[in-house]
Amino acid sequence: MEKKLKKILVVDDEPCILHILALKLRNAGYTVITAADGEEGLELSLSEGPDLIIADYQMPYMDGLQLCSEHRRRGGMPVPAMLITARDFDIDDKMAEKSGISVVLAKPFSPQQVVEIAQDLMSEHHYGGNVLAGVKCNNEK
Amino acid sequence: MTLVGRYRLEWILIVILVTGFACLMFAVMNSALYGGGGYMEMVGLGVMALMLALVFTQWSHRRSMQRTLNYIQMQLEQLGQDKPSGRVLVDTAENSEIAGPLVQSLGLISKQLEELRQANHSLNINCQIADAQRRQIEQILLSVSDAVVVTSRFDELTFANESAERLLGFNLSNARRKNIDEIIHDGAIVRLIQDTRRMGVNHQPRIVEHSCNNGREACTFRIMLRCLAGPNKTTAGVMIVLHDMTREKEIEQGKIEFVSNVSHELKTPLASIKAYIEMLLDGEVDDPKSTREFYETISSEAERLHRMIERILSISRIESNSDKVVLEPVSMTAVIKQVLKIIAPKAKSKEICISEHLAPVYFQVNADYDLICQAVQNLMVNAIKYTPAGGNITVDVAADERRGVLSVEVSDTGVGIPADELSKIFEKFYRGRSHRAMATGSGLGLPLVQYIVETIHGGKMSVTSEADKGSTFSFELPLVA
Repeated sequence: MEKKLKKILVVDDEPCILHILALKLRNAGYTVITAADGEEGLELSLSEGPDLIIADYQMPYMDGLQLCSEHRRRGGMPVPAMLITARDFDIDDKMAEKSGISVVLAKPFSPQQVVEIAQDLMSEHHYGGNVLAGVKCNNEK
Repeated sequence: MTLVGRYRLEWILIVILVTGFACLMFAVMNSALYGGGGYMEMVGLGVMALMLALVFTQWSHRRSMQRTLNYIQMQLEQLGQDKPSGRVLVDTAENSEIAGPLVQSLGLISKQLEELRQANHSLNINCQIADAQRRQIEQILLSVSDAVVVTSRFDELTFANESAERLLGFNLSNARRKNIDEIIHDGAIVRLIQDTRRMGVNHQPRIVEHSCNNGREACTFRIMLRCLAGPNKTTAGVMIVLHDMTREKEIEQGKIEFVSNVSHELKTPLASIKAYIEMLLDGEVDDPKSTREFYETISSEAERLHRMIERILSISRIESNSDKVVLEPVSMTAVIKQVLKIIAPKAKSKEICISEHLAPVYFQVNADYDLICQAVQNLMVNAIKYTPAGGNITVDVAADERRGVLSVEVSDTGVGIPADELSKIFEKFYRGRSHRAMATGSGLGLPLVQYIVETIHGGKMSVTSEADKGSTFSFELPLVA
């Protein structure tokens, strides 16, 4: 019952990826809000207060890292964030951690894996006391 | 004959002397014994004979001396000249016993001089060879593209080639024998030279990668520093070779970015395909309509992946075969008409009106027909993609005979390109951010157009655009005279 209350913001400029993630997460029982670029994503993250942000790294106007760091800088709730990218080798762990990214997931990914990570990130263990777990790159599946 | 010749003068002298004495004796005897007359005549004759002998002796001696002196003079003259003189010396020694030792000494001196002459000659040849080799090495060093600098053990500049002058910004004629910290402004390079000199000749050459800001742009050098050995392994100076790696680094970086972009662009449709298939396999969609939509999406993403690979291969093929392209006179008006036939259905489906202003067909450019068609088609397809339904596209082909160029212009009333994106649109895999959703694309179309126009045809590509008003892509090619 608890997970149905959770709200996840999914931001990606690729309509197919956005569609599939939204569908999978909704099927898993979450409330999903979507945005097609970084700026729109930032607006929603600040106004809607999601419990988790899932963002693509390379997006128009504002990339996923900027979105997450801006979200925090502008006083958004320090929620966990997951970055999905085809350029996982470009992303430095420290830079990601500084922007509030908990997990970097490399493309191509499994939608089921996204649901599992989302569940894990929103559990008490990660989400409790404003302290995020170190960034982990999760692409073993 | 020799004996007679040698002693002939002495014999004559003896005969004269004997004759003189005989005359005197005869006069004395005749006077004493017989008191005969003719005494005075005989005495006179005897005295004359003795005087003649005396004069003859003097003359003979003088003649002999003169001959010896002449030989010596001749010998000395020959010594002064560059002639072999052994034969004359032998004759001289036989001709004069007085001058014999002197002539022998002169012979030794002559021999030594001859040896010295030969040694001097060899030395001169060696010097000429060494000088020619030195000049050759200097010419090689001057002409190499790498910068070469040589410093003395006092860190003074002793040699630099043109590349070094250009790269390090000094003039050798003013800088020679000056301390390097006065002429090389990059402190790091100066310290490297000083450190190498201090380390001495026993150390291996050092190879250091060094980045610096050369006025306007960042440069990277690979610097080789070698301590030059003097006599007894002392340090004579340092040789520095600077290899400019800036372009190599740029190419390397370009390759990294290319691979990164390719993998990113290929992974994106692949990620969609994989995710959609997994959803189908997991039974996340069960109604036939959604299932069909999923299959259609998988199909279109697979098609996108295929297009992208085709584009990459096409660019690679064109780039690798660009030297085999044969340019022939082509009418751009004919090219445009051909392309218009291909893209007309797409334009019609979006209700886009295409108007054309084409130059007469006799204006021709040297081009590869297929490649230039491809370039124009890419521009036209882009114009259709980014022009909303009901918009207009104009194609102009105009000949400027004064400048000797033919210009092709494709204008649209589309969404335009923001100013900050204009400089990037010809980069491989770059896709405009603002209107990406309007159309699919690989980010390879415009780089291909630019490559075809500029690299293959030697033309000039340009673009002007205003957001929400439209874009104009144009290129110029030299007219066939």
